Amino acid sequence: MLGYQNKVLRIDLNNKANSTEPLNMEWARQYIGGKGLGIKYLFEELKPGTDPFSPENKLIFMAAPLTGTTVPCSGKLAIISRSPATGTILDCSIGGHIASEIKFAGYDAVIIEGAVDTPSYIYIEDEKVEILSAHELWGKGSHETETTLLHRYGKDCKILSIGPAGENLIPMACINSDYYRQAGRGGIGAVMGSKNIKAIVVKGNGNVKVANMKETLGFINHMMHENTLTDDNLWAYTDGTAMIVEMSQTTGILPTRNFQDGAFQSYKNIDSEAMKKVRAGKKGCGSCALGCGNFTKIGETVVEGPEYETIALCASNCDIGDLEALVQFNSLCDDLGLDTISTGNTTAFAMELTEKGIKDFGLSFGDIDAYLKVPEMIAKKQGIGAELALGTRELAKRYGGSDFAMQVKGLEFPGYEPRGSWGMGLAYATSDRGACHMRAWPVAQEAYGDVDPFTTEGKAAMVIELQNYNAVKFSSIICDFWALDLEVLSQVLNAVTGEKFTVEELDRIGERVVSIGRLFNQREGFTSKDDTLPNRIFNDALKSGATAGKKIPKEDFEKMLVQYYTIRGWNEDGTIGQEKLAELQLIEAKTAMEEA
Amino acid sequence: MGLKFIEDKCIGCKLCHLACSGAHEGAFNPKLARLSVESYYQNKGLVIEAYVCTLCGKCVDACPTSAITLKNGRLYYEVEYCINCGICVNTCPEEIIVQKEENVGICDLCEGAPWCVKFCPHGALTYEEVK
Repeated sequence: MLGYQNKVLRIDLNNKANSTEPLNMEWARQYIGGKGLGIKYLFEELKPGTDPFSPENKLIFMAAPLTGTTVPCSGKLAIISRSPATGTILDCSIGGHIASEIKFAGYDAVIIEGAVDTPSYIYIEDEKVEILSAHELWGKGSHETETTLLHRYGKDCKILSIGPAGENLIPMACINSDYYRQAGRGGIGAVMGSKNIKAIVVKGNGNVKVANMKETLGFINHMMHENTLTDDNLWAYTDGTAMIVEMSQTTGILPTRNFQDGAFQSYKNIDSEAMKKVRAGKKGCGSCALGCGNFTKIGETVVEGPEYETIALCASNCDIGDLEALVQFNSLCDDLGLDTISTGNTTAFAMELTEKGIKDFGLSFGDIDAYLKVPEMIAKKQGIGAELALGTRELAKRYGGSDFAMQVKGLEFPGYEPRGSWGMGLAYATSDRGACHMRAWPVAQEAYGDVDPFTTEGKAAMVIELQNYNAVKFSSIICDFWALDLEVLSQVLNAVTGEKFTVEELDRIGERVVSIGRLFNQREGFTSKDDTLPNRIFNDALKSGATAGKKIPKEDFEKMLVQYYTIRGWNEDGTIGQEKLAELQLIEAKTAMEEA
Repeated sequence: MGLKFIEDKCIGCKLCHLACSGAHEGAFNPKLARLSVESYYQNKGLVIEAYVCTLCGKCVDACPTSAITLKNGRLYYEVEYCINCGICVNTCPEEIIVQKEENVGICDLCEGAPWCVKFCPHGALTYEEVK
C-alpha cells in the first residue's frame, strides 16, 4: 500500500538505542493507521497491568497513509499510551505540523520505550536519532522550550514538548506542538515526563509517495473544493470552535458552575463575536484547508484559541465571564502543559466544594484573581495545587462530592451537558478513554439538530454509528472538522494507497478499532460498572435555560446502555464474546489477552 | 500573468508546498517546493513569510548555458543544457530555486495552471496579471 513509509522507528530509552523495523502491513490493512493502528501496537506490546508511569509503558506516535499528502485536514498525529489518569487505553491527537514531519523523516510511527535517568530530549533528522541532555530546559514552559529548540535547529524543524505539568507527572498534563496545539487528554504529557523526555524535535527531508500522483492530485483538489471548502465545514474558518458557544447556550448545554446549569448569563462575553474582536490572525495545521485556529491577542497575552472546550470548562463552568481572564488562563495552561478541559473541570469542582463548605480551597465561582493562580499551582504542585492536581475523581475520594465530580473513568467531562443531549451521556459513558467528545458527538444531531435530545429512542444506534465513524476517520487521520462521509473517505484512501477500501469495510474497521480499545480496557479490569455517569446527571435537574428541569433518569440511562451492548453484539456485562471477536478478526488479540 | 501572495488570507497549511512538489517531483516533500510560504509564531506575534517566483529574470541572466529562458511570461528550463552549476540557485533573490542532485527545480507556473494556486484554500496565492 502506498502512502505509508513502511517503517517504524523504535527508541529504547533504557539503553539509549534505536532501531527501525517494517510497519506491520497486515495490521495496517486492518487498522489503517493513527488511532487504530496505534492501539493495535500497544495492545500487542504492552503487558497487562503495566503502570502508566513505569518505563514499561510505551508512547506511540502514529501517523497515517494520508499524512504528509495534500489530502485536506490530514495533518494530525495520533499519540497512544496507557493513561495515568484513567488506566484505560489512551489515544490523543495533536495538530500543528509534527505529523507530516515524521513522515518526511521516513517513518509512519515512532515508538518510545523505557525511560532515561536524566532530563533529555530526542532529536530525529531522517536516519539520525540522538538523545540529548535537556538539563537547561527542564522546568521551563512549553513555549520557551519550543523557542529554544527552534533557535537551535532552525524553524523548519517541528517540536513536541511538555511543560512543568508533564515533568511533575500531573495526570492532566498534555503534550504541546506549534506553541498552541495540544494532545490534551488523559495525562499523555505526564507519560512523556515519566520517561524524562522534555521534547522531541523532528526534521524530515524525504518524500511521501502516493499511488498515482497525477490522478491523485487532481482528484484530491477536486474533493477539496467540492467537499471540504463547503458551508458544512467553513464555520471552522470563519468562526472556529467558538461558534459553538452560542449554540450551546441557546440549547441549554453550556456547562455552567460545575455543571449545575446549562446556560451562562455572561455568554456574550466569551462567544464567537467577542472572540472576533480580539482576533489577530488565522493559523491552520499542516495540510489543513479549513484553518480553525484563531490567533488571539489581548494586551500582552496571546493564545491560539480559546477553543470551545476551553471556553466552556474554563469560563462558564468556573463562572468566569471575562474574556481577558480566560485568555490568560488558557495561555498559562498551554505554557505549563495542562489540559484545559480537566484543569477547568477540577477548578470548578474545587469551587463547588468550597461553596458547599465541604472543603475550603479558597476558590469561589467567578473569583478571577484566585482562578488565575490555579494553573501554576497545579502544574507545580504548590499549595492547593498539590491536591487539585489529582483531578476530580481522586479529589472526591479524599473529600467527598463524588456525585458532582464530573468525570467518567477518571477523565473529566468535555463542554456538553448530557442532560440536554442524552446520547452525549451515553457517548461519555462508553468512550474508551473516559468522558470524551471526540469518540462520538451526538449533540450535532440532538441539541443542535432535529433529533429529540430528551429520549433514549435511537440513541444507542446513533452513538455506535458515530463512534465507528470517528474511529475509522481518526485511524485514516482526517480532522474532526471535515465532515466527510465514508464514501468520500474510501475514495480518498484508495487514491492515496492504491487499495480498494469499501464503505462497508471502513465501517467494519471503525468497529474493530472501537472493539480493540474495549478489549484493552477489559484486560485492565474495566467492566460495565465503569460505563456510567456521575449521579448529578441522574438526580439533579438543570436550573435555567432551554434544559431547565432536565435530568437523565438512571433507568433511562441504563436502558440506553443495555441497548448499546445489544446492538454492538457484546455480552450483557459489556464484554465482547467469542463470536464477535471472530467476526472482527480480533481472535488473535483475544488470545494474546488470555496468554497474558 | 504571475503568482501573487496575499498575506492575510494565508493560514500556513503548506498545501502549496506539497502541491508543488507533488506536481513536479512526483512525491510530496515541502523541501522540494519551488516557493516558500511559512507561518510561525515569534515574540508573541504571528509571522508570515512568502517567497514566490516574481519572474524577475535574474536566473535567466545568470545561467551560463542558457538552460533557463523567459518566454511568453513564463520561465522555461531545458534540463539537457543544465550543467548543474548552482548559479541560478544562488542568484534567485527569492531563494526558491531548488537544488536537486542532478539538476534544479524552477517554477514554470505549471504551464499556466499553477498547482499551488489550485490548492491554496483561501485565495492567499493567486495567478494574475503582474506589472
